[in-house]
Amino acid sequence: MNSETLNTLDSYSKNKYKYGFVTEIDDEKPKKGLNENTIKFISQKKNEPEWMLDWRLKAYSKWKKMQEPKWANLSFPEIDYQDIYYYSAPKGFEKKPKDLSEVDPKLIETYNKLGIPLEEQKVLAGVAVDVVFDSVSVATTYKGELEKLGIIFCSIGEAIQKHPDLIKKYLGSVIPPGDHSFSALNSAVFTDGSFVYIPEGVQCPMELSTYFRINAENTGQFERTLIIADKGSYVSYLEGCTAPKRDDNQLHAANVELIALEDAEIKYSTVQNWYPGDEDGKGGIYNFVTKRGLCAGKNSKISWTQVETGSAITWKYPSCILKGDNSIGEFYSVAITNNFQQADTGTKMTHIGRNTKSKIISKGISLGHSQNTYRGEVSFLRKADKARNYTQCDSLLVGNQCGAHTVPYIDSKNNTAVIEHEASTSKINEDQLYYCRQRGLSHEEAVSLIVNGFCKQVLQELPMEFAVEAQKLVSISLEGSVG
Amino acid sequence: MNIQDNYLKNKKNIFFSQNKDIQNHREKLLNVFENDRFDKKNNESLKNINLKNFIDFEYKYLIPDETSVINNNQENSYSIVSVNGHCSSFKDDKIEITKILDEDYNDFSKNDTIDNNDHFVNLNSLFLNSGFKIVIKKNNNIKIKISNIITDDNLTIFQKNNYICEEGSSLNLIEEYENKNNSTSNILNVIKLEKNSQLNHFLIQDNSPNHNLIITSHSSCKKNSIYTQKVYNFSEGYVRNFHYSELVEINSEADLQGIFFLKDDNTSNNKTFVKHLAENCKSNQVYKGILNDHSKATYFSNTHVDQVAQKTEGYQLSKGILLSDNASYFSKPELKIHADDVKCSHGSTIGPIDENAIFYLRSRGMSKIAATKILISSFINEELGSIDNEQMSEIIQKKLVRYLSKVK
Repeated sequence: MNSETLNTLDSYSKNKYKYGFVTEIDDEKPKKGLNENTIKFISQKKNEPEWMLDWRLKAYSKWKKMQEPKWANLSFPEIDYQDIYYYSAPKGFEKKPKDLSEVDPKLIETYNKLGIPLEEQKVLAGVAVDVVFDSVSVATTYKGELEKLGIIFCSIGEAIQKHPDLIKKYLGSVIPPGDHSFSALNSAVFTDGSFVYIPEGVQCPMELSTYFRINAENTGQFERTLIIADKGSYVSYLEGCTAPKRDDNQLHAANVELIALEDAEIKYSTVQNWYPGDEDGKGGIYNFVTKRGLCAGKNSKISWTQVETGSAITWKYPSCILKGDNSIGEFYSVAITNNFQQADTGTKMTHIGRNTKSKIISKGISLGHSQNTYRGEVSFLRKADKARNYTQCDSLLVGNQCGAHTVPYIDSKNNTAVIEHEASTSKINEDQLYYCRQRGLSHEEAVSLIVNGFCKQVLQELPMEFAVEAQKLVSISLEGSVG
Repeated sequence: MNIQDNYLKNKKNIFFSQNKDIQNHREKLLNVFENDRFDKKNNESLKNINLKNFIDFEYKYLIPDETSVINNNQENSYSIVSVNGHCSSFKDDKIEITKILDEDYNDFSKNDTIDNNDHFVNLNSLFLNSGFKIVIKKNNNIKIKISNIITDDNLTIFQKNNYICEEGSSLNLIEEYENKNNSTSNILNVIKLEKNSQLNHFLIQDNSPNHNLIITSHSSCKKNSIYTQKVYNFSEGYVRNFHYSELVEINSEADLQGIFFLKDDNTSNNKTFVKHLAENCKSNQVYKGILNDHSKATYFSNTHVDQVAQKTEGYQLSKGILLSDNASYFSKPELKIHADDVKCSHGSTIGPIDENAIFYLRSRGMSKIAATKILISSFINEELGSIDNEQMSEIIQKKLVRYLSKVK
């Protein structure tokens, strides 16, 4: 840990936090509803150039003609897009604070309450945190150090101002705005998110991390994340999500685009813990996320790891387009649903280049009255010679009111490609449970231990500091539903 | 001619055109076709199908002159020739064969297991022009072989067959579809297994390139009954095998298996669907396919476990071998599980023939083609080996040899 790091952390920890959990900050919002004025308002607030506004408006006109995708095994009341605020920035944030001491302490308190104490951040030194509170970036740390290496790590709004060339070239190149209605919606109204550019040959020395939070009631968060790894570079990116308890359903439709050029590697890890609604299924976040990575160059690699414990509704398919020869796509996922949560999650591996490889490990755990679906597509196109895929999806059912579903789509158009898929569904093994109980663990502890073991294959893919957090999260998610 | 025109023109010749309820039901179906025009984009089961043959066809049906033959040459063994889907009535103390009746139609149209969007089943209900009903009486052990013959070119046959196995009966049923003319058969088999009954159902499909066969079956199993189905598809024409099975009472079993051999431009669509509605039932779905040249296949398998169906065992396996660059295979093995004490799994593989295995055989002096053929045979040997009927086994071996002779 260098002295600069320590100083930064110290300056954080000197702040005092004495306010409540739900931060009462005056929000500055446009009127509810979605129309061209809303988009113009957002664009103006963000001080965006003309071409960006055009881009948004184009996406909006596409969205108007589109319908929500219907394939998912989810049921929820229809979303009223006109009943949502599309922009909420805490007042006074238009001028960015230079460091955390200038930041409203209430914001910092929220993070603290959500379980990222600064003490822990101290331990987690080596993590540059780009905190997004509702829609505006609060503070970015470690910027200087990253800048020395030529790494750009900033909010997408800033990138639009400072790096328009990169944005123009890559934004929407992996997820076209017209892909489906949620991507069009996001393209039209996205407010913030992260932008990462790793220059040629640079190995990013630390894990980049962004904590996204939803705070203001009825404000959909529409982040846009764009990560570009230039030739021969490496980056590991962490995303963590938590949201305070609310009764109204909140819409969340993020778009995440990854681009790995020749020999580059991107590792994207998520621990997602949005508010899932209460025990009766009331409230909770609706999460419709599009995450897609493009292995554009030869020998590139994209790896997705996700731990999903939150959201009333999860609709999320982190995908890889394996375009470059010898490129590799990986997907590791743990999805836990409890109470009345519904998750329809999985991945899509599209093999285009020769000798491409993909691996999918998915673990689903359903408890309570929840429905957990794995939906994944693996396709080999004509030219994907010698491509290889291995898929394993296991489901665990706890209780007889929940459902676990597996819906793989497997499509091969190449006769040298090999594809393997296996899935199993079962309940917790009685013998294992008995063994643990015999050694003095309570029923709940035993279940938690077994479930953690069940997920281990995925959890070990997470970066160290995340893995610990994720393990705790798994145990917390099981609380109250066992026995 | 489109579906509506065909229907209006031939309304009078179709089965049950006098029955008001059925009429009404058909009017509704017509409306469905009016509104939903075989939307390929939103209906996966229509993947790869050349829809023109089914939307735009000339309805033609001839009631056969020659009556079909029912032979009872050996004890407990019957051979039936069904001509254009017709079968003459027959009755003895073991089986009873009759025409299908109004109530058999109704019985089915209410069933919701089969996807309501299945246009081909709806077409069958709309144009129904043939079919029969076979009842196996209590505690009998019977063998039946049915040969399906079509007399003329360009016929459109819409057939509905009912099979009922009464309590404690056991039936060994072999159905042969070997047609050389350019007709279209749309067949729906409704199979009911009562308590303690058993049905071994073999379907051998070997049609010429211009013959389309659409076969859908729906079986329901009561307590302790076992339904086993084996499909051997050697057809050179389009074949659609959609088989649904419902396990409605405890300890019942369904086993749906199939093998298909495709070449040239041929297409085959396959689907199996098992619904577990009671405790302690078992199911097994296994499909294997060999695809050569430009052939295409899809296989959808479904295991649905209801909340009450504890102690379920449900297995699925799908394997495909692509012999050519241009062949393609799509599989979608689905599990929908609502009970916790279950053992369910599925596996799916698609790939070429194992190169190491070929290398092994070639290093022992075998030519590449010979090695390929041996490996194909071994790939499906498990399924062929399980045929306990010698005559059947011989027929299938012959067809396999014929298929392999075209493999290069």
